[in-house]
Amino acid sequence: MRSLSILGLLLISLNSHAAPLSPPAQRGEAFFHQRFAVNDKMPACTACHTDNPLKPGQHAITGKTIQPLAVSANGERFSDPAKVEKWFGRNCKEVVGRACTADEKADFVAYMREVR
Amino acid sequence: MQKILVWDWPVRVGHWLMAGAFCLAWLTADSESYRLVHVFAGAVVLGVASFRLPWGFIGTRYARFVEFVRGPLSVRDYLAGLLRLDPAHHVGHNPAGGWAIVLLLGLGIVTALAGWATYNEIGGHLLEELHEGLATTMLLVVIVHLAGVFSGSLLHGENLVRAMFTGKKQGHADEAIASARPLALVALLLWLAAAGWLVAS
Repeated sequence: MRSLSILGLLLISLNSHAAPLSPPAQRGEAFFHQRFAVNDKMPACTACHTDNPLKPGQHAITGKTIQPLAVSANGERFSDPAKVEKWFGRNCKEVVGRACTADEKADFVAYMREVR
Repeated sequence: MQKILVWDWPVRVGHWLMAGAFCLAWLTADSESYRLVHVFAGAVVLGVASFRLPWGFIGTRYARFVEFVRGPLSVRDYLAGLLRLDPAHHVGHNPAGGWAIVLLLGLGIVTALAGWATYNEIGGHLLEELHEGLATTMLLVVIVHLAGVFSGSLLHGENLVRAMFTGKKQGHADEAIASARPLALVALLLWLAAAGWLVAS
């Protein structure tokens, strides 16, 4: 009986959608939702990528679909370092209003890798 | 020698539209806010360049490819003259300028097509890289073209930038083109409007 309830708890935790994020991933999550308000049409990452990185986004200007940022929803994400640097470079400049720091980028990637 | 009409309307207006659109596309290349401006500028480059190809066969004398596309020896001779600070004068395009036109038209078309495919998510990351590489190559050709225009202008004592506005260059009266072909300009603008409409829809 006791082993059964442990098994049940184990199954619940395996199936849990609220898997705890590591501290870097938590900072990345906060950064992802932060409102920089530098750009009217794209005040935050979420302007195009939506509040949920597991879901496809929509370009704020062109309306085109953007594939999910979360690795669990899109295995291609963060697999090409040159591409990752290129898009951090473009989007940080335009949305954050400056280049992102190495820590910010690491936290962001940690969040996108862990979120599921 | 006198001032004669050399460049027709489609050549002149097409040139400045393409130059302006290329600058606009370059300046908006890294921006998502101006993504639609960038795509529109690319459509103008593609529209002008694709109009220019048939115009290079049916256009006025100096607009035709047979008039200005020369072999490598002619280009070498012209560039050697430029280095001696005594380049040969051509009523139409000089041999180096002729190749700048061919390269810029070709690069304009393939860069815009690669960009259009990328915008519509065809061809993936590879085509995106190709689009950027082609655009950079095009910028390099533009810089060489500008260097040629300014050095040629100084050495011939003939303002080639102004000639691309007025259509007039130094030549003999019997070398002039008969008409600036305003109706063909209307056709170019209609073609561009159609291209713009296609992009917008």
